[in-house]
Amino acid sequence: MNFNAEEMIQIVATIWETAIGLQILPESPDSRGSIGNRPRSTAALIQITGAWNGAILLDCPVEVAKLAASIMFSTDVADITVADLQDAVAEMVNMVGGNFKALLPERCYLSLPAVVEGGDYSARIPGSSLLGRVHFSCQGHPMSITVLQKSADKSLAA
Amino acid sequence: MSIATAPAPAIDSKFILPFMNATRDVFQKMAGVATTIGKPYLKTDASATYQVCGIIGFSGQITGSVVVSFSDAAAEKLVEAFAGVHLAVTDPDFADAVGELANMIAGSAKKNLGALANISTPSVVIGKGYTVTTTRNVPCLVIPCGSPFGEFAVEVSVKKTAAV
Repeated sequence: MNFNAEEMIQIVATIWETAIGLQILPESPDSRGSIGNRPRSTAALIQITGAWNGAILLDCPVEVAKLAASIMFSTDVADITVADLQDAVAEMVNMVGGNFKALLPERCYLSLPAVVEGGDYSARIPGSSLLGRVHFSCQGHPMSITVLQKSADKSLAA
Repeated sequence: MSIATAPAPAIDSKFILPFMNATRDVFQKMAGVATTIGKPYLKTDASATYQVCGIIGFSGQITGSVVVSFSDAAAEKLVEAFAGVHLAVTDPDFADAVGELANMIAGSAKKNLGALANISTPSVVIGKGYTVTTTRNVPCLVIPCGSPFGEFAVEVSVKKTAAV
């Protein structure tokens, strides 16, 4: 499995445009802050098992998560709860995962998404290694999508 | 052991017992630590039960997730018992060990769930004041556990899906 950054950006752009009507702009890696440098952020994770094993991690600032939730649920941003924004981010990473899965060999299964929200946490996926990462911005907020591959699968990579 | 009941929604108790047994077995066999298993209860908020969480996703005929959640202090000592060496919470190997414990509990329970399921690579979240949401439409039962090193919890949120 080779990671194609342009393909991933295209997937994300299409999902953001169609699901919440927002545009994204590709960013260079050094133009953004890390997940730990923000007051509050969300990290949405979806795992893929089967013929290919790995995970997709969406790093999303709370501001964008709230905006996505407000559009998705037709609710004022001020009324968005943590549960709403977690639902929205979960749905976004689920769509990214579904599209990415279509690029993988048959058969692969998506787990249900897990979403972490907070201001003082770190997230790790032991036993996996970085396959690729894309950085982009939405409404001026830096975001990223990271694809991790289970280490044992590396030897099977084409 | 009885399972805590709540008005709604329901969770199948046959999905809980394997996790209770697996938790007891894994800590006993892999870390030499005797654990006590308390009465499960329905989780009503998204806050992480403790600061260190190992998360395993299920897919296939069973979907959902399991979160093994430890306090910092309990995690450090249980990981030490498991790994045979002291690892600080900030050590990358610490997260690996927490993930492996979660992986073994989920893997052991999976064999007794009565359905074909795949389990994901573990994810480990460490921090304070964060929430973890895994499966909104599936109730989450918390299995409170005790050990000589402190309390921890196994949060089970799985459901059976259509055959794949």
